[in-house]
Amino acid sequence: MKAVMIKVHEVWLETLMAAFMSNTNNKQTLFDFADIIFRHFTWIEDLLIKNGEEYSYDRDNVPIKVENLKVLLQDIDKRLNEINLQLISLEDKALSDRISSDIKYIRLILEKMHDEMISAFNMNRVMEGYALSKEATDALTLFLFEESYKEYELIMIYNYLKAHSQDAYMNRIFQILIDESMFHLKCFGDMQAKMGILATPRVVMKELYQVTDIVKFLKDGINEEILAKEECKRLSEAVAKDNETLAHFFDFINNQENYHIALMEDALNHYQEVNGIE
Amino acid sequence: MTVDEQLVMHMMEPKNYGHMESADAFGFGKNPENGEKVVIYLRIGKDEDEPYIDDIKFQAIGCTTTVVAGSMLTEEAKELNLEGAKNLVNATLKLLDKLPPEDAACSEMVALAIAAAVETYEHRVSEPDYPAITYKIKSTCTPKEEEDESSND
Repeated sequence: MKAVMIKVHEVWLETLMAAFMSNTNNKQTLFDFADIIFRHFTWIEDLLIKNGEEYSYDRDNVPIKVENLKVLLQDIDKRLNEINLQLISLEDKALSDRISSDIKYIRLILEKMHDEMISAFNMNRVMEGYALSKEATDALTLFLFEESYKEYELIMIYNYLKAHSQDAYMNRIFQILIDESMFHLKCFGDMQAKMGILATPRVVMKELYQVTDIVKFLKDGINEEILAKEECKRLSEAVAKDNETLAHFFDFINNQENYHIALMEDALNHYQEVNGIE
Repeated sequence: MTVDEQLVMHMMEPKNYGHMESADAFGFGKNPENGEKVVIYLRIGKDEDEPYIDDIKFQAIGCTTTVVAGSMLTEEAKELNLEGAKNLVNATLKLLDKLPPEDAACSEMVALAIAAAVETYEHRVSEPDYPAITYKIKSTCTPKEEEDESSND
């Protein structure tokens, strides 16, 4: 079952990357499928926890560099087929049937999707309609690599914490933070694809998500969000003179960090109160 | 960091990133300032009894600059003998003064992790359970003007 979870993790990322690459009406369908596959991932994880099996978020690198979307879609289809065959190993037949039914439909639609030429890897670092200076382009490039990984890392951390917590209040907060990070990852991934610098985020190290001290994690997380705000502010300033729309976008992301900080402070207060920590 | 095509390639596809199952040795480079760290895994081969780095991998809790430094330095370390790897570490450490502070801290962390992994391997030749060595960096990530500002507070 652990092997199935790893494969589902990999195909989730591959489908998400395919959505970033697409410039047509395939895009939204691929985003929706990626969301469905991510839910499969969390269900299998829940089953592993229920069965007391140890697991991690380790996975292989997911190659995505293609010239035509069809090539990636065929690889996703192949991976989904392999997962479907391996679902037999799941003892929870209801879960296995539910995932299998989704996979059957996803494969059917993937097969019918039209092909697209892909420009997400051309490394030209130009976004159509946004004329940026070299300095602003460099700042944006670094920001996108840094933050797209960071959002993926946060999704994995909050997901792990949520999977291992029975506290509904905390889980509500973790789910909101996962949704927010998913949105940010989608924004940044889309921009990377437009600039021709799309890449799969690197594997997250175990010690980052296998959190042993929640209080320290939340306190460090609040500080990191404050630093992320500064980074957004710096970037907004760097691109402001070249492009107002982009500056507004980074101001918007910056202000969303305020909400994340408030949520993490809420989680920290709740956790300390429930566990009698001063 | 000035971004050129080579750097973008290392960001898009970092070389040698990942965990290595059953490594012959591993070692850590740590930044005590912010908790960032790099782990280097080594698989050692033998060429006429001379040990050399047959395969090398790294993982990082750190920024993109650390990943780029890890990607570049591990590529250079591959297939070097242990003396060659130590020379690479020393050459990198000598260059740190010429780099911006945040780049220097990242490169030092990777170089020290390579040194730690190589030295751990050397100890393990006679003592197989020798624990992985950790080295802490001396560079600081903070740019000079920020340091000056904070010291004036």
